[in-house]
Amino acid sequence: MRTIDVDRSLCDNHGQCAIAAPEVFRMNTDGVLEYEPTFDDALLDEVEEAIDVCPVQAIFLKD
Amino acid sequence: MSTSTVEVPYLNISDPSFAMQSEELRTAREQSWYARTNFGLAVLRYDEVSKLLKSPKLSQGSAKWPAHNGVHGGLFFDWWTKNLLVLEGEDHHRIRRLLNPAFSPRLIKELVPRFQALANELVDAFIDKGECEFIRDFAEPYATRVLTILLGIPESEWPKIARLASTVGLALGVTFKQDLDKVEAAVAELYDYAEELIRDRQANPGEDFVSRLVLASRDGDRLSDEELRNALVLLIFGGMDTTRNQLGLAMQSFIRNPQQWELLAERPDLGGKAVEEVMRTNPTVTWVTREAVEDFEYQGLAIAKGTTVHLFTQSSGTDPRAFPNPEMDLLGEHAPHYGFGGGVHHCLGHFVARADMSEALPLLASRLANPHLVGGDEWLPDSGNTGPIRLPIGFTKRS
Repeated sequence: MRTIDVDRSLCDNHGQCAIAAPEVFRMNTDGVLEYEPTFDDALLDEVEEAIDVCPVQAIFLKD
Repeated sequence: MSTSTVEVPYLNISDPSFAMQSEELRTAREQSWYARTNFGLAVLRYDEVSKLLKSPKLSQGSAKWPAHNGVHGGLFFDWWTKNLLVLEGEDHHRIRRLLNPAFSPRLIKELVPRFQALANELVDAFIDKGECEFIRDFAEPYATRVLTILLGIPESEWPKIARLASTVGLALGVTFKQDLDKVEAAVAELYDYAEELIRDRQANPGEDFVSRLVLASRDGDRLSDEELRNALVLLIFGGMDTTRNQLGLAMQSFIRNPQQWELLAERPDLGGKAVEEVMRTNPTVTWVTREAVEDFEYQGLAIAKGTTVHLFTQSSGTDPRAFPNPEMDLLGEHAPHYGFGGGVHHCLGHFVARADMSEALPLLASRLANPHLVGGDEWLPDSGNTGPIRLPIGFTKRS
């Protein structure tokens, strides 16, 4: 398993992460981000895409 | 029906004299978070723009633009209705997932030395004259040659790309129907150009941007040749005018704020902040359009399905509720602006635009002192995408 952290002071709820990695990130009906802090290694590629694509670069992979 | 008793302001946004940076707009923003307009609602304050921009109750809403202008078929129509700008839901997300990796900020960073060399080359050509026409001599060639660098085509072809991008851009203007023949011819020419590029990279894939798009795959899915072509046309269409106009507006902002220009000249590390501050206070995209996908209520206002909602970027970016000192300040800590739109339709190319402008601005500041207007400037209207068409400036060469 791997772990991510979203800096909520930066996150602006654009939802690009939820497009890139829908198994880990999703936008609720109010348009606010919800996410799984830990995820399976098999999803690493798409989570890295989510990290890359975030317009405000608010997602961080922990070791 | 609105339950509010406050009088709602009205703005005539298609009046050619309508100005975003005006007392009329500031007064309206103090009166109410929204205004009625001759073309839907206008949202004026930061918090409301931020929330509505990302609201699942609103879609992008431009899909019907050709039809609104009496255009119901043809090359532009076909391209427009299948391009990422107007796609929604999973159709949009699928294309976006396949395009995103090529626009990764890590990959764009590799191009920075070429952006710097380009900016220096352009400045070299006019620096000894003490004056230039900033759009013709810098903003337009810079914005277009950045695209040629990204696409991996000879930089010498930039005038053709600039001409085609500007011609297709006529489709977003009020004279779209009259310009239709020119637009169609330009789309046909861009199609040929893009198709040749795609064939070349399919035969000889490398590490470049177009090769990455050609090779992009996810879960066994790939972009079709048509989707690749449409994406390249979108890149040219969306990447040239916007960057050119934004650079022109940046020069205007710094001419109005000479201390900020001096600060940038001394602190090139503030290039990124310069881009953010210019786009917050003086964005080329003056509004972002959305359309209500269902009836809903927001802050007591009933918004009916199909209502057009304009989210005003400059107005939100200078709203005193979010920015107590709204003036441009490269050393200030400010909330993010919405000059790149937001939500699922957030500008795809923003890392490129941010990277190229954050190199260009400090480089210009380090070489040109005291830039000032010398007259003869011409401007696009404030509605939609604005900026200078011509911007003659004088300056002193820094030694």
